[in-house]
Amino acid sequence: MTEPRGQMKSSNGASSTVMALQSASSSPDVQFSSLSPKLEPSNFRRVSRTEDCSPYPIPGLAADILHMRVKEGSKIRNLLRFATARMQGEGNDGSGTSLRQVVFTGSGRGVTKTITCVEILKRKVGGLHQVSKLYYKTVNEIWESPQQGAPGRNTQRTVPAICILLSKDPLDPQEPGYQPPETLSVTTEDVERRRALFRPAHSASLQHTAKRVCMDDLSVCSPQTSKD
Amino acid sequence: MTEPRNPGMSSIPQAAPVHTDSTSPAVEMDPVEYTLRKRLPRKLPKRRNDVYVNMKTDFRAQLARCQKLLEGGGHREICVHGLGLAINRAINIALQLQASSQGVLQLAANTSTVELVDDLEPEDPDEAGEPMTRTRNNSAIHIKVFYPDPQ
Repeated sequence: MTEPRGQMKSSNGASSTVMALQSASSSPDVQFSSLSPKLEPSNFRRVSRTEDCSPYPIPGLAADILHMRVKEGSKIRNLLRFATARMQGEGNDGSGTSLRQVVFTGSGRGVTKTITCVEILKRKVGGLHQVSKLYYKTVNEIWESPQQGAPGRNTQRTVPAICILLSKDPLDPQEPGYQPPETLSVTTEDVERRRALFRPAHSASLQHTAKRVCMDDLSVCSPQTSKD
Repeated sequence: MTEPRNPGMSSIPQAAPVHTDSTSPAVEMDPVEYTLRKRLPRKLPKRRNDVYVNMKTDFRAQLARCQKLLEGGGHREICVHGLGLAINRAINIALQLQASSQGVLQLAANTSTVELVDDLEPEDPDEAGEPMTRTRNNSAIHIKVFYPDPQ
């Protein structure tokens, strides 16, 4: 905000220009996404961090739906092991029926991981309808000063968040953010039936394509084409 | 010469593929050293109202560009795309647009997977290292920012 635009033109050394560019490009994200005072003293200690428990931004969801909260440090394999087990639960141990719907939410730096989880799960399970919603999430933080008796500080930040519903049952196509299941010119029933028949082979081939390594010729990937 | 031409591309730390899968045909990085060169994402459709968000351009410049398209450009809807790390910024831009329109604008987000190709080039041409390519997946988001049709 404080940086005048003209500074980039007045070249006072290449390195400083780069520095100015970097600081200008990195800070606004933080500034825009937070309403807190810009300078949070570094010696303040964060005592608690509470997130507002807002209802799901997607209308018409059951309260007892499986809700996967993806955090920044969550491991994708842990999340997906749990979610796929619940979604494909039928037949394995016979203990419970498989779920029809699952919600993934993530905020801040966990947004990318949330989307990755959803994309992998869609490929694994197949035939899933999807609705994605974007919203701002409010985070209350209480900061404590290191000096005794000094007043603490209460800040409110808003971070961008995403909420994705995956469903085996059809959803409203008019809902903003709806995505139909990806079918390769076959109907949903077809996919379901094929998945039930060829589950082991199908999943194996999916994993294979996901981590495929091509041994291509040099002529295909010559460095000249990638450079220019 | 081994230095990548674009320093910005090589300094993205989180995108380096470190996982070698045991089930895939063995990716033997040793003993020959390889230079990893990331190709650009596949060329995508570019209409006049498509905005591809990246992490190099100034955030405010990208936000202003979207605002200009919606207000001055006379577009009823624009599409904001983000790939990988830029997903966050794309969401931020879309939410900022919605907030500055006092809630008139609506958002419709779609997610997808984009296949990216890396080139592995042997450092030393004398050793018997073969140039290889490797594909990996990255997540992407496509947000339609639009004025809803008057009912």
